[in-house]
Amino acid sequence: MSLLAIRDLEIRFRDGAEERLLIDRVSLELKKGEILGLVGESGSGKSLLCRAVMGLLPSRKLSVTKGHVSLAGRDITRLPEREMLDIRGRRIGMIFQNPTSHLDPVMRIGDQIAEGLCRHRGLPRAAAREEAVTILRQVGFTDPPRQARMYAHEFSGGMRQRAMIAVALACDPDILIADEPTTALDVTIQAQILRQLAELRESRGLSIILITHDLGVVAQTCDRIAVMRDGRIVEEGEKRRLLAAPQHPYTQALIASHPSLPHEEAVGDPYQPHSRPLIEIDDLEVSFPAGGSPWARRRFKAVDGVSLRIGRGETVGIVGESGSGKSTLARTLLGLQPVTSGHVAFDGSVLTLERARTLARLRREAAMVFQDPFNALNPRLTVGETLAEVLRVQGKVPRAAIPARVNELLDMVGLDRGFAGRRPRSLSGGQCQRAGIARALAVDPTLIVADECVAALDVTIQAQIVELFRTLVAAQGLTLLFIAHDLAIVRSLCERVVVMQHGRVVEDGPSAEVFARPSHPYPAALIAAIPSIDPDQPLAAAMPDPRSQTQQEGLLT
Amino acid sequence: MIAALGLPVRRRPMLAIGSALLLAFLLAALLAPWIAPFDPIAQDGSIRLHPPSLAHPFGTDNFGRDVLSRVIWGARIDLQIAVLGVLFPFLIGTAVGTLAGFFGGWIDALFMRLIDVILAFPFLVLMLSIIAILGPGLTSFYIAMALVGWVSYARLIRAQILVLKTQDFAVAAQSLGFSRTRIMFRHLLPNALAGSLVFVMSDAVLVLLNGAAISYLGLGVQPPLAEWGVMVAEGQAFITTAWWITLFPGLAIVTLAFGFSLLGDALGDLLGVKE
Amino acid sequence: MHRYRFVLFRPLQFLPVLFGISVITFVLVRLIPGDPARILLGTRATPTALARIRAQYGLDEPMWAQYLYFLKNLASGEMGRSTLYKIDVLPLIATRIEPTLALVTMGVLLSLAIAVPFAAISARRQGRAADQAVRVVSTLGIGFPPFWLGLVLILLFSVTLGWLPVSGYGETLGEKISHLILPGLTVALSLSAVLTRSLRAGMIAGIHSDVATAARARGLSENAVFWRHVVPNALVPTVNLLAVNIGWLIGGTVGVESVFALPGMGQLLVRGIFSRDYMVVQGVAMTFAVATVLVNFLADIVTVALDPRVKL
Repeated sequence: MSLLAIRDLEIRFRDGAEERLLIDRVSLELKKGEILGLVGESGSGKSLLCRAVMGLLPSRKLSVTKGHVSLAGRDITRLPEREMLDIRGRRIGMIFQNPTSHLDPVMRIGDQIAEGLCRHRGLPRAAAREEAVTILRQVGFTDPPRQARMYAHEFSGGMRQRAMIAVALACDPDILIADEPTTALDVTIQAQILRQLAELRESRGLSIILITHDLGVVAQTCDRIAVMRDGRIVEEGEKRRLLAAPQHPYTQALIASHPSLPHEEAVGDPYQPHSRPLIEIDDLEVSFPAGGSPWARRRFKAVDGVSLRIGRGETVGIVGESGSGKSTLARTLLGLQPVTSGHVAFDGSVLTLERARTLARLRREAAMVFQDPFNALNPRLTVGETLAEVLRVQGKVPRAAIPARVNELLDMVGLDRGFAGRRPRSLSGGQCQRAGIARALAVDPTLIVADECVAALDVTIQAQIVELFRTLVAAQGLTLLFIAHDLAIVRSLCERVVVMQHGRVVEDGPSAEVFARPSHPYPAALIAAIPSIDPDQPLAAAMPDPRSQTQQEGLLT
Repeated sequence: MIAALGLPVRRRPMLAIGSALLLAFLLAALLAPWIAPFDPIAQDGSIRLHPPSLAHPFGTDNFGRDVLSRVIWGARIDLQIAVLGVLFPFLIGTAVGTLAGFFGGWIDALFMRLIDVILAFPFLVLMLSIIAILGPGLTSFYIAMALVGWVSYARLIRAQILVLKTQDFAVAAQSLGFSRTRIMFRHLLPNALAGSLVFVMSDAVLVLLNGAAISYLGLGVQPPLAEWGVMVAEGQAFITTAWWITLFPGLAIVTLAFGFSLLGDALGDLLGVKE
Repeated sequence: MHRYRFVLFRPLQFLPVLFGISVITFVLVRLIPGDPARILLGTRATPTALARIRAQYGLDEPMWAQYLYFLKNLASGEMGRSTLYKIDVLPLIATRIEPTLALVTMGVLLSLAIAVPFAAISARRQGRAADQAVRVVSTLGIGFPPFWLGLVLILLFSVTLGWLPVSGYGETLGEKISHLILPGLTVALSLSAVLTRSLRAGMIAGIHSDVATAARARGLSENAVFWRHVVPNALVPTVNLLAVNIGWLIGGTVGVESVFALPGMGQLLVRGIFSRDYMVVQGVAMTFAVATVLVNFLADIVTVALDPRVKL
């Protein structure tokens, strides 16, 4: 008998006369000690389904209209709240995507763990606190007695997620629902957390539902995979079977758009060391004030001694985890961030020597695409107004020709011309990002700097945007600087890759070579930590000892 | 009628009631000479301290003046207090906040220190001290308001500009070669103003209360002019025998303030601004 | 405990503000047209007294020197002499601090006692009748002029019901408290309207927050989620709001003191203005400003205690 069974579950949204079906006859089973991967893009209903299992629908306008959920044979669908309280945390634990917002900022970590222990196991406060220390040790905290007295903001992102796992597992539940537990984390930390979950399954016989949008995350951790779309399970089955022979077209599309598959050749001209480079960076350092007392100001070096040459027509991926200095490098290059020392030159004019002239050239020949597409467009202007404004300021197109050019730009990025009259808020993330790219193209640039521009998008949309860049680079001979934390995307788009860590360049070379034979241990670890869609590839094989990594993180506080 | 102004009032009771109240007071102020049943200033010793009746729905005061007529005429002065008392600080504060937030550096430091010092004084205390020097009267009130009231707008706009400045669309504008004035006036300021528009409404309430309080203390509008704060002060001596002199002008203040508050809340919902 | 180290260093940062306060109060009085010596001493001053004050404040010297004299006098506790009360300003103000301080304390405590339960009821029944009622009343309450509200309360509790004294302060502690209830309530009602709105918004955000979802997923009852996680998080911005409004609150006591004839600093200020007793106006404004700075300091300490993320 399965531990958790969902049968023909239907969830509806009702608001007055408006009614929508959000979860449509979903059936799922979870066996003891099993890890089930629940995969879907945003809006597929995967999170909602799991909230329903917990009896925690996020709004009163939502209700389970059909079907039932049973836990170890007992129907818990319409259990009174009082009885549900004994199930939540005690039988089913839950962890979430964003530990920062889910942990109480004003309560000590240890107390948040102890809270559940007092509630479910009736422990007195002091005993619960001691137990909390033990649990923190189990999930990889190095100095739990001290760390139990710390607050969420004093930990790094990875440690916060571990803390949340500790809170969820405090009362030893049978089932853990993990809702996108690694989406907000860097790839090496993601591997650690996934490994932690796998270990907990082994040591405790825990059953896990792992919700994610990334097939790579489930490929190595899960036993079975269920794919959700628009509130339905479109396909479900044993992991290997499903990945090797997907039946449903949507599953096929998801697998095809997964960036870990080097399904297409990189675009762009190969690296030519002898021609005059478009961008020359020499021993660049960029630092920020990092607090400290007024008499002993500390500075944080975001970019620390970087030298780089980039030729015309190259496509260069700059890769690194958060805080590696890749975005600062790009902004400095565009003259948006002051240089602390060293030199930056664009097409022969040196930014640090002839600032005004170089800036004037940069503004007319380079353009940027940003991470958060909604934030990158002025919310008060329509897409058409935004594009027309750039064209007017740049003055490369005669005034009378501007409306026609706006239409051309929309065509180039694959947006219907009707979008000219719409404001960012009424667009989807992918459409918005296309508008952002159109704005960059309005400059008619030789260089485009794209800063994490697909990180906020669903995988199928990511694939479309990458495809758009591929066409644009091929058609217009652009030089592309593509900044990303996702190595797989870079591999499929860029001809050359630069890996950054702690403000320094640790690897630089043709993508094919770097990915095949990384010369530095850090890129090697990064590449190994990419969740591959191949289920037989071990999880984060080449990772350094996770314990030492954990200790490093503990020091981050 | 309100729907005719183009406001989306359907299914928005706050917006509907708020704008209806403001409109009612505006009409009362504009049409006072025609709709007020009596002269607000003319005294009539024969009808002193009459309680509310059909002829005098709000009663009469100790000079035999009709309280209803004085409340209607009072709308003229109190609406003017709320509008002008907000307008000058708003203009000064927006200008200062935009400059300080956009340029930063010593301009910012200078204004922020000045704001710190002004905020160290309780608002009403500084207002009263300035009025003490300028002498009582409505003009002194407006000058004092302009000297003191701008700080909250400056702080609000500055904070907004500082946040907006780091948003990607502002960085984008910079990277596209837009001029500083274009970034400031076309991209930052319009987005910053949405928040202060909501604040304008709640500030109008505070200004109205302050103006009435200062007049109540005898330092603002001078008798015999009909102003609600003055009327409350005049009624205070008769609170035990003729409560209506005090009650109705106070209710007028509460109602007008309610209108501003509702409109502010509704605008906040509409513009998606949180206070 | 290093988070509380600012308690030692923060007073140093007050220096520029205190300097600014002294400049403003100095300039305020010098802006009055006419002979400053006569302004300070009143119209019926004797020539010897005029000569003495000219020397004491250096009134024949340039403005910057006069400011230095002013500072020097201030440092030795010399704030001038009241022309109305015929005593020195400093001891005069000292006798008036207690009623105002008691009124503000009473107002803040009462307003919290009103705001927290009403906000809680409102937030937990969002959209239902109780919530609508609290919303309407708190929105109305913001527009209540304190001086008028005070009169209405007098009419109700003192005149009609006869429960509480109409005005004045009294001698014994019991008398003082009974004299402070209505003024305190007047201040509290206006303030609690603002606080209720802010708390309600914070609590509603808290109820729908990720923190609350995570707490529910741990099996905590709705009550436990609310009081252990929602309320502590909602209190942080409310203390900030209280601090921001403290100047407004202290200023508001001026009107309330006048209504209830409470012999506090506000009343002293108003009397001073009417009788052109500029030394008193100057002294009271300065005292109010310094008090506001101290209250803000207090609010900083409370904020640091409530929110471990805040570093000052």
